[in-house]
Amino acid sequence: MATRAFQRLPTAPAGRILTLRLVAIIVSLFIIAGVLALAGHSPLMLAQLIVHSTLGSRFGLEDLALFMCPLLLTGAAVTVCGTIGLWNIGAEGQFYAGAIAATGVALGLHGPTLVILPLMTIAGILGGMAWIAVPTLARAYAGVNEIITTLLLNFIASLLTYYLTTGPWRDRISGAQVSTQRISVSIPEMWGIVHWGFPVAILIVIGLALMLSRTRWGYEIRIGGANPEAARYAGIPVRLRIISVMLLSGGLAGLAGMFEVAGTVHRLQGGMANNFGYLGIVVAVLARGSCLNVIPAALLMALILDSGIVMQTQQLSASVILAITGLILFMIAIGDELAHYRPVAKVAAGGKTS
Amino acid sequence: MNKPTNPPGMAPGTPPILQLRGIAKLFPGVVANKDVDLDVWPGEIHALLGENGAGKSTLMNVVTGIYQPEEGEIILDGYGQSFASPQDAIRAGIGMVHQHFKLVEAFTVAENIHLGWDEAPRIASPAVMEARTREISERFGFPVRPDARVCDLSAGEQQRVEILRVLARKARLLIMDEPTAVLTPEETQELFRALRAFRAQGNAVIIISHKLDEVMEISDRVSILRRGRKVGTFNTAECNPSMLAATMVGRDIVRRNMRARPEGAAPIATTPIMQLRNVSVCDDRGVDTLRDVSLDLYGGEILGIAGVAGNGQRELTHVLTGLMARTSGEILLDGKPVAHADPALFASAGVGHIPEDRLRSALAPSLSITSNMALREYVHPPIGRHGLYDAAAASALAGEIAELAQVNIPDFAMPVRNLSGGNQQRLVARREIRIASRVLVAAYPARGLDIGAIATMLGYLTDLRDQGVAVVFISEDLEDLLNVSDRIGVMFHGRLMSVIEAEGADIATIGMLMGGREPTDMQPGAAQ
Repeated sequence: MATRAFQRLPTAPAGRILTLRLVAIIVSLFIIAGVLALAGHSPLMLAQLIVHSTLGSRFGLEDLALFMCPLLLTGAAVTVCGTIGLWNIGAEGQFYAGAIAATGVALGLHGPTLVILPLMTIAGILGGMAWIAVPTLARAYAGVNEIITTLLLNFIASLLTYYLTTGPWRDRISGAQVSTQRISVSIPEMWGIVHWGFPVAILIVIGLALMLSRTRWGYEIRIGGANPEAARYAGIPVRLRIISVMLLSGGLAGLAGMFEVAGTVHRLQGGMANNFGYLGIVVAVLARGSCLNVIPAALLMALILDSGIVMQTQQLSASVILAITGLILFMIAIGDELAHYRPVAKVAAGGKTS
Repeated sequence: MNKPTNPPGMAPGTPPILQLRGIAKLFPGVVANKDVDLDVWPGEIHALLGENGAGKSTLMNVVTGIYQPEEGEIILDGYGQSFASPQDAIRAGIGMVHQHFKLVEAFTVAENIHLGWDEAPRIASPAVMEARTREISERFGFPVRPDARVCDLSAGEQQRVEILRVLARKARLLIMDEPTAVLTPEETQELFRALRAFRAQGNAVIIISHKLDEVMEISDRVSILRRGRKVGTFNTAECNPSMLAATMVGRDIVRRNMRARPEGAAPIATTPIMQLRNVSVCDDRGVDTLRDVSLDLYGGEILGIAGVAGNGQRELTHVLTGLMARTSGEILLDGKPVAHADPALFASAGVGHIPEDRLRSALAPSLSITSNMALREYVHPPIGRHGLYDAAAASALAGEIAELAQVNIPDFAMPVRNLSGGNQQRLVARREIRIASRVLVAAYPARGLDIGAIATMLGYLTDLRDQGVAVVFISEDLEDLLNVSDRIGVMFHGRLMSVIEAEGADIATIGMLMGGREPTDMQPGAAQ
């Protein structure tokens, strides 16, 4: 009998995944430190600086929270869509659409914050929904692959933002480039520069987790994602569920755009989505389909982003940062795969192998 | 070893192209083939007939080296052979055309013919390969366009490429698995012409099929497999479809009467629960898969549906459970017409459904056992209230179902695919029986189960009958059908042939109906 030292399990226990991810992150940090040392940087000094400007100081923590806020929402948008087995690659575009719609309200209407802010919120959500509406209907009624349609609309949304911020909506007051003027209303701040959008985003993620696990709608979504044929067998209106999930997903990404405009940037800027939509996909993959896991996954992603910015101030180029991000995610993917394996006990050669 | 006797018209001493002796192929828990002997002579078309799962494809996979047999020998032209791979088999002259084509769609016909062929020229320009392909195509009489891409070809043309691939490698024995399943009637006739031409050159063909008319038309001899064993080999000229059908589904039937009701069981109701009135279904290709079916389902009665697989059983099941819309006709539930097909509506009206392919259509393999057990009752309290989903109530339900099904489950949160096929089947059956307060439609519920589990499953059906539920029991096993059913209907070409009383039904009559013949001297005792 061929002796194999390891056995692959169909499902990996969550504890093992967590442990191996931590190992993966530590290993990649050592690799990064090694490469940076070879390149003449002092890893220790850099590490100190990074820790101080992220977790180690109040200013760093505030920054982290600001990064996390959009990542929570775009990560949740991709995760929710993934529950029914679909990929929303267009959170970036829906983010812009939400930001544009919210800015439109702020620039066009004048009134008390209490009136304008809710209107901006609704506009942001509707903007995101509108941006995913065509891919949604194409998917539900014609079976058009949503990955392509949502992805392509990203470029249109991004270019539309550039057009607006250099054209009709350009800043005529301070003359800032590729930007609208500062909008007059903003989401109130709760802690330093952290606005109330951050706790709201956390609550939304928790609410979504409850919706998926504790409502009839959530159950139907899960069945529809796991086996559409079984869903039809049980009489679940799969098409309607696809529409509702995709619109919700677009709405979440749109809300992320509105939060960014009204809470953090206070204006519409070209390129302001900052890849938050695409990083939402990474967050969702790290979260492995669970809404609650989106919170730690968004934290990790925010940490990586923030560290990257710190390193850029130390004359490391943006491509190095990207390579580092890639390395960490790559090592985590290896860790996830390894979590499926367990050593086969030597005594179990002839007997039980469980 | 008994020497095969040469068929008439063949020089004595000519060995068969292929001889199988005592072939057995075992899979964990399943005997796919056992004690199979088969002789295939040069110049014959030999049909291999049997129900789904009778072991036809497994046997041919053994012959072509895809599987290694556990017992028995393969003898080619009188010499024992063993094939480690399909490449070995084709070198020895045995080629197989699978039901699902194994062509590279983005390549041209000529490229596909030359792919993995050791006689292909080392440096071959498209022009050279196309010329070679044209020559091969003319030599064997299968017209193809050498420069066409495979993805642009019809199913019939792709099949010709597959056949040429095999013939170009000098196959003398061509094995075809359900070759006509994807063909139009004209393409089928073309294929048959070509196969006859191939036979005329002294080659042999084995054709796997469960279409009786085609077997009658094309084959010289026919071997019938049942439950992995060969039942017999017959000269086709001496056969008729009814006899083939009856042999295919079983001859040595042990009749046990499970129709006797215990004390206090519900009698057969006088008014039907569900009625089909002239229901027809036409599929996307425009083929009538269900034709003018009328049927009454009475509480407290088991209606058996017999027939060769693929004669409309699937469509009947789906129409009865609201999964498929009818093209014409009427469905009445408790006398009231049902407006449109809606599985949820049928389920809440008390119609349970054990589908044919349980894992694919009745379970979500990656979700937990609990989630899967809630599939039929999540809308109703205690699980569903005010649009919520009560996970605790769902696990209570899952525990209840598992206990009734006598399935031992260590962890209800684990994905249902981690359970064995038999246990999945038991859980689905129990889940459906729970909601089947009026009707249970069970499609092949015993397929893939061992004998003990089959008895349990049939017991479930009779228990439901005794509670006054109308049971529709679709099966290919005549023994099971005759033992539990009160009435038996036979499906043929989408039509429901006569429905007869199971009590006095004889196999010959059912066989005749399965072959599409309405016995003229049918007893008037037939219901309806």
